[in-house]
Amino acid sequence: MNSAPNGVWQKNPALAWREIDDETIIISPTESVMHELNDTGSFVWKKIDGRRTAADLAALLAENYEVTREVALADTTALLAELASRKLVVAADGEAH
Amino acid sequence: MDRLIARTVRQNVPLSVHFDLTYRCNERCVHCYLDHEDHGELLTSECLEILEQLASSGALFLTLSGGEIFLRKDLEEILACARRLHFDVSLKTNALLLTHARAEKLARLGVRRVQVSVYSSDPAVHDAVTKVPGSLARTLAAIPFLLEQGINVKLACPLMKENLLAYRGVMALAEGLGVAYVLDMTITPMMDGSQGPILHRVGAEALLPVLQDAALQGCHPPAKKEEDLPALLGSATSSGMESDAYDDLPCSAGHNSCYISPYGDVYACVQLPIPAGNLRRRRFDEIWRGSSALKQVRAMRESELPVCSRCDIRKYCERCPGLAWMEGGDLLGAYERACELAEQKARLAGVARPQSAWHAQCAANETKNSSAKGRVYDSMEMTNEGTRHD
Repeated sequence: MNSAPNGVWQKNPALAWREIDDETIIISPTESVMHELNDTGSFVWKKIDGRRTAADLAALLAENYEVTREVALADTTALLAELASRKLVVAADGEAH
Repeated sequence: MDRLIARTVRQNVPLSVHFDLTYRCNERCVHCYLDHEDHGELLTSECLEILEQLASSGALFLTLSGGEIFLRKDLEEILACARRLHFDVSLKTNALLLTHARAEKLARLGVRRVQVSVYSSDPAVHDAVTKVPGSLARTLAAIPFLLEQGINVKLACPLMKENLLAYRGVMALAEGLGVAYVLDMTITPMMDGSQGPILHRVGAEALLPVLQDAALQGCHPPAKKEEDLPALLGSATSSGMESDAYDDLPCSAGHNSCYISPYGDVYACVQLPIPAGNLRRRRFDEIWRGSSALKQVRAMRESELPVCSRCDIRKYCERCPGLAWMEGGDLLGAYERACELAEQKARLAGVARPQSAWHAQCAANETKNSSAKGRVYDSMEMTNEGTRHD
């Protein structure tokens, strides 16, 4: 799945999740599968709010983690693609990204 | 999951919380350990505030139970709050009040799993346990409503004198429905300590057919080691977080799981009712971090138990510190039920003449007392002889 920089994402509303220390635990209700995000993944996860684009999220990541915007964008789009493939995030505008 | 458990134990994050919303119930199960009178349940606003505090403290797995939770008129509101706070929600219910519409709402509100109590596939046996005629039919009728909504269902069957022979029927029911089940041999005293429910407990020897049942072997998930008990025999009240990550700890209670009563009392576990604090007077975080009762529970180590740590058949024992406290009077001590069951299981595993360390100690004490009595008698005889005047 290709995550366009201007795509807007929201967390799948059916999920249970909790941030514990720097990591985030997410439970998919339908498959009863547990997913874990490390600290950078958790940072991006927290910022996903149904309004920010992938580029916005990448900019925040670059600001807070001392990486270049290019690296941040690549990491963010890869993460979003992975989250989307696991149905942990969904397109906020109903469109595929 | 092991990594998460290890981390939350290390940091004492209350990952899993069992929250009983009411002790009121529309059944009167003979083995139940609860007082069904309402002594002033938490208000809706109090429940919602507690959920906020639990979420802030890191709780993720929330089990809502009772009594019968559907007797709470505000259940939907509580579930909506749990959904907003992103809890993973499981419910325990007898399902008597579960309708198609209610099951739809549960799914919409994100309930992932529902545990339903079923005591037998025979209505006469089940209804004799619940004391509600027609209860089995109503319970079974409700289960498809949950399955249609994609909600995971698990049947829980505590084993007692009244239904011991019926467990195969419950297994068949579960298999026919395509759902999981757990058979639980634990019948506990009342939470106030009175022993009434224990009358319904099956003796260790009478449990042998269950322990030996080949149908409970080779189960899913498969047991990790050959000498493990069948995994389908478990606890209906468990936090569900069994793991090797607990290492030298007896269980999760007080480390990364706890229990909350309908009156706001916090305990390490529903089976360990030593009050740690009350949420009407203190915030959850204060109680969880500062309670001396919880600190006492957290200090327990399997390797430091005075008697049990040196027991040769310890690996066959499912000692519960709560039951040790309720039945043996000592959080760190042994208790008869655990020793009986461990000896049965050890015998089944091929151990010759298994004896728990506690039983061995009791036997040694008896012998010592008998010898002491004999010596007293002898010395009395000697005294009598010495005082006899011819």
